[in-house]
Amino acid sequence: MPSDKNNKIPFNEDNYTHNIERNNERKLDRRGFMKTLVGAAGVFAISSLPWGMVAAKELMGLGEKEYPHKKITDVSKLAIGDAMNFKFPGDHDDAILIRLSEKKYVAYQNACTHLRCPVFWVKEEGEMICPCHHGKFDVETGVPTAGPPRRPLPEIQVKVENGAVYAVRVKRYEV
Amino acid sequence: MKKRLYLELENCIGCRSCLAACTQCGGHEERNRNYVYDVNPLVNRQTMPLMCLHCVNPACARSCPAQAIQIHETGAVLSALVEKCIGCQNCTIACPYGIPKFDTEQNLMYKCDLCIDRTKDRIPPMCASVCPSNTLQWLTDEEIENKRNQFNLDNGKWVTSLPYLESETNVKVNLPGILQGITKLY
Repeated sequence: MPSDKNNKIPFNEDNYTHNIERNNERKLDRRGFMKTLVGAAGVFAISSLPWGMVAAKELMGLGEKEYPHKKITDVSKLAIGDAMNFKFPGDHDDAILIRLSEKKYVAYQNACTHLRCPVFWVKEEGEMICPCHHGKFDVETGVPTAGPPRRPLPEIQVKVENGAVYAVRVKRYEV
Repeated sequence: MKKRLYLELENCIGCRSCLAACTQCGGHEERNRNYVYDVNPLVNRQTMPLMCLHCVNPACARSCPAQAIQIHETGAVLSALVEKCIGCQNCTIACPYGIPKFDTEQNLMYKCDLCIDRTKDRIPPMCASVCPSNTLQWLTDEEIENKRNQFNLDNGKWVTSLPYLESETNVKVNLPGILQGITKLY
């Protein structure tokens, strides 16, 4: 004979471990959570592909790509201590060439590594300065010496042939 | 206007139309989910259909360790969810009416779900729509109340068994000869 409690006090079936109401079904059950987890992992994996491309590019040596040598200027037109802008390797990659001495030329892509403002050469101070946030770069190496930029300017190798200065290639970025 | 399944058992003529309808109903994969019992086998010819009483507090769902049996908002107790049922057959033991069936091939419990795809749109379940003898009816609560008023019930309420195992069910049954002191008034 059942006790008189039977069916008088219904069990509370709406809790996290046991629910039988279809409308109280958890929005995110264990399986849904695992699916979300795997899905998010997939999304992260796919979103990391661009970096994979960059790495592949490095591994395949595309970073060492030689661009067609480009004449910047004649040696006679650039006085010692002066600088001039040019475009290398593409038409939209601004660069700066600085003549430090009779034989020594340095060239950098002059988009500041902080927020890509054009870095220019201040002859009096012997420094490259970014006007936007007063970042300064060492002219010999391109490494930042003051202000917000933290990475060196990409260096462009130049060569002097037949009284003219040519841009040869962009040196790959090294930490 | 919510309607319920109502079983008027003394009308049953044992034609098994409800079984055939359930077997051939779409989505049932040629399996029927209801029963036609002999009430007193070898004594008389009275039969009774039984699908599932769709208890308000269902023992099958409460016994299920995987919560594979869910109660729909209409009150129908659904068949086991294929992705949750683990085939432990607890429900077949727990149900006091022996309703849930077990498919050993699919390792899955299946039972009447009151044709939820039809009843959620207020279409009567297949068995009720084909019953030729008005044993299975699809009635509003008001109509069921009128049916109940045809009886003198000594305890004032219809329960499915005495002493009752599951008190309230969504499917209403009249139980001639089981309830005490009943006389039909027509």
